[in-house]
Amino acid sequence: MKLNDQAQNLGVRVGAIQVIAFVFLAILGVRLYYLQLVKGEYYSDKAENQRIRLIPIPAPRGAIFDRNGKLLVDSRPTYNVTLSNEPIKKIDITERFEDYAGGLNVDRQYLVERINLIRKQPGFETMVLKENATIQDIAWVKAHEEEYPELRIELQPQRFYPLGTVLAHVLGYVGEISPKQLEKPEVIEKGFRPGDIIGKGGLEQSYDEFLRGKPGYRKVIVDSRGRVQSELETVPAQAGQDLVTTIDLDLQMAAEEQLANSATKRGTIVAMDPNNGEVLVMASAPSFDPNAFVTRIATPEGRREIAGYYTNEQRPLLNRAIQGRYPPGSTWKIPESIGALQQGVITVAQSNVACGGGITIGNKFTRCMGSHGSPPLSYAITRSCDGYYYRLALKMKIEGLIEMIEEFEFDKRTGVDLPNEKVSQTPKSWMPSVVKREGKWSDIRTVYASIGQDTVVATPIAMLRAIAPVGVAGRMYVPHFLKEFKAIAAVGDEGSPNYIPAKPSFGYSQPEPKIIEMTADQNKIMVDGMLGAVNTPGGTAGGARIEGFDVAGKTGTAQVAELGKDVGANKDHAWFVSFAPAPKPEIAAIALIENSGFGGRNSAPAVRAVYQAYLAKHRPEIADAAKEGSQKNADRQSSGAVD
Amino acid sequence: MVAVLEKRNLRDFDWLTATLAVAIVCFGVWQIYNAQPTESYWSKQITGLFIALVALVVIAATDYRRVIDYAPIFYGLGLVLLALVLVPGLGVKVNGQQAWLKLPVIGQFQPSEFVKVPTILMLAKYFGARKLGSLQFKEILVGVLILAAPVGLIMLEPDAGQAMTYFPILATILFLSAIKIRYVVLMLAAGLILMPLAYYAGVQTGKIKNYQQERINVILDPENADPRGYGYHTVQSMITVGKGGLSGIKGDLETSQAKLKFLPEPQTDFIFAVTAENTGFIGCISLLLAYAMLLSRLIAGARQAPDRAGMLVIMAIVGSLTFQIFINVGMALGFLPVIGVPLPLMSAGLSAVLSTFIAIGFVISVKMRRFVN
Repeated sequence: MKLNDQAQNLGVRVGAIQVIAFVFLAILGVRLYYLQLVKGEYYSDKAENQRIRLIPIPAPRGAIFDRNGKLLVDSRPTYNVTLSNEPIKKIDITERFEDYAGGLNVDRQYLVERINLIRKQPGFETMVLKENATIQDIAWVKAHEEEYPELRIELQPQRFYPLGTVLAHVLGYVGEISPKQLEKPEVIEKGFRPGDIIGKGGLEQSYDEFLRGKPGYRKVIVDSRGRVQSELETVPAQAGQDLVTTIDLDLQMAAEEQLANSATKRGTIVAMDPNNGEVLVMASAPSFDPNAFVTRIATPEGRREIAGYYTNEQRPLLNRAIQGRYPPGSTWKIPESIGALQQGVITVAQSNVACGGGITIGNKFTRCMGSHGSPPLSYAITRSCDGYYYRLALKMKIEGLIEMIEEFEFDKRTGVDLPNEKVSQTPKSWMPSVVKREGKWSDIRTVYASIGQDTVVATPIAMLRAIAPVGVAGRMYVPHFLKEFKAIAAVGDEGSPNYIPAKPSFGYSQPEPKIIEMTADQNKIMVDGMLGAVNTPGGTAGGARIEGFDVAGKTGTAQVAELGKDVGANKDHAWFVSFAPAPKPEIAAIALIENSGFGGRNSAPAVRAVYQAYLAKHRPEIADAAKEGSQKNADRQSSGAVD
Repeated sequence: MVAVLEKRNLRDFDWLTATLAVAIVCFGVWQIYNAQPTESYWSKQITGLFIALVALVVIAATDYRRVIDYAPIFYGLGLVLLALVLVPGLGVKVNGQQAWLKLPVIGQFQPSEFVKVPTILMLAKYFGARKLGSLQFKEILVGVLILAAPVGLIMLEPDAGQAMTYFPILATILFLSAIKIRYVVLMLAAGLILMPLAYYAGVQTGKIKNYQQERINVILDPENADPRGYGYHTVQSMITVGKGGLSGIKGDLETSQAKLKFLPEPQTDFIFAVTAENTGFIGCISLLLAYAMLLSRLIAGARQAPDRAGMLVIMAIVGSLTFQIFINVGMALGFLPVIGVPLPLMSAGLSAVLSTFIAIGFVISVKMRRFVN
């Protein structure tokens, strides 16, 4: 056909179609150029991001042992049901939580709260829906693989506290890092991600860095539903280091038993080696079960249990040994006496101060529990003569007391290797606000402060730390739990980028002890007074006496309410602080039983029980002999009621 | 069969066009393999190529004028097939569309692919026979009716993608049948105005479904579209294309978008994305150039066609192929919405390859007879 012959411009129209076809192809070519050459790298990255996943390999957390190698904490393998972020981006996952809650028996509300918190975070990749998955849970997830590709089963070592409530405050627990913590720059710097398990409270927190180890990861290729197709690279994890603590579990159990059987079941017992600051016992009652925070946190019952810990008026989460602050009562007289000797207010030769049965300041009479004449220091300690100390403190003046407070570091934390230790409060810390409010520091406050009341509240650990040096020529150590971190082997091949070097074993580096300056005479007078309190008739602490093991101690009965109202819940706090055996002590111990009354009656026997447990291990012959004499002791206990 | 081709015919046979078509199909087989190395799509496609080649030679050897004479019969048969698809039991439903017909002996095929050819023949017969002079309104109406019958049946399946590929056939034929240019301009203008209006009205009245809106929205703003929703296909296709870069991923099929199932329908609708990922810009441009050459060969043939009907057949095929290439590749490149239109000669599917080869067979038949009269 000759197109040119046609009247219609057919050739032009065919040409037009050809042009249109070429223009279309050209448009495609230009677009192709843009996507592949201009933005090629961008899409290449996108493709890589959506197919490459890092699946963490958790590092087994170091176990924790007592000083004799008895297991306190370890990890056991459990399966977690996790929710991975990738398949659920941009869909409203909360609709599915109803199904999850039903299928996995978890608390729906808890899931909703957590996902809302966690999905805002940039590093979020997986969230644990349920820890400790049962066979049924795993079967449920497997059965719903197609429906819920976001669910995965992951093997995860889970922290286990075989002792339950025993030592809970010291050990702490572990849990997921909180969003608040993740905001801190120093936390971000260490590479923490949402969902990481960290130590919370206790040694788990203090030594998290060493216990945690270094997690590894598997770099894998996943398909569009998040299923692993192949593995690119595996970087193994390095386990955390095992922690050997200074705790002696046998002594700890004895202490726990004493608290459990105490009048109010509230209080704390701490024992340490006065020669180096190693803490042998730290019990605080009431206690909690750390497993609740680990294994039961996702279940409705577990969450109620945890909420109960927070609302319980008895405050089971409080570590009374380092966070409880109590008026020290007469136990305060020990550092005070040393202060007076140091300052020369009294001397070894001339230590008598009048008792007077009490003292009158202004028109107010403050009594002593007895009438002791004008006793020497050791007698005043043995009988716990308040009148003696009223006048001694007035001689020292409040400045002298504050000097003593600084000497014994009551104005600081003891430095124990546990988090959240409280600082004692003393006239030093109160002075500014009292002077501001009352215009001056009045003598009556000095008098009260002399017997560890009013402006004095101290933590049990601080009291123990102050009194333990008496037996060891004034050497005041920092109490601590770390005995040794075990070495851990290197992971990977040396020279490879994923090589993690071995970590050596290390122990606690005790700073040079602070020396409480005392002459031998001064030291002896203190030790004699404390020995007398336990071992002489009329001493306040007969309940702690052990035949053949010279316990030196001091009771304290700290007033909580005014005289006359000190009954029931407002009964006095009972203290006993001590070391043994004098003059070369191996162990120092303190007991505080809240609102139980006299220290001699309530706390001294508790300490005695710890000592007996110690003797049973280290000096069985004395322990046996002491058992026979225990009846005699019980008699003395009832007679030594005056504090 | 070779006996059918006389010596002169053999000499006039358009080897280049046939070779180009076969080459594109072979390239396509490679890409189908890349898309689904573990499935049998690629080997089936090779089988399809041989069947299609036979069909091409037979059609080429047949005098197209005879065939055009019988166009109404083919057209009628085509409509019957399209109607049969809708009969429960005969029609096979795939992905919610009843577009497949399962017949004994022949097997399963997609009539909407094949009926394009009789529709073209029918239109060519009608418009090829008309006298000179501007197109009358009545003639346009007849053309629309010829097209409306198969399109209407296809819409009942419903397969909007296939139905759409019929429109360029009529558009091309009307354009080449002396339709007044002012009508063309008018229709283009009306289309430009009415399309957004119709879309808006459709959204307002709910006639256009949410997922269809999503498919449009993702084109307008791919970054903010829901990558897990209906925009997913578009976004993944763009990623796949972009990832190819200059020269492709060079056979690393283990991490390919298709292998990891990020790219949907990789062997059919998104075969171009697979091509882009594997062969990069170089491969894609080569493919587009091959298409350009093929279309040029066809248009050149149309210019030499011995009669008007033959010219119209070739140009209608050109129009249809161009449109399908543009829609399919445009979809893969993320600037056209996702519509199930196969890429001619590339997408896996016997029906599509066969119908395209039949169409090209006609073109060759027309060209072979250019000196006859």
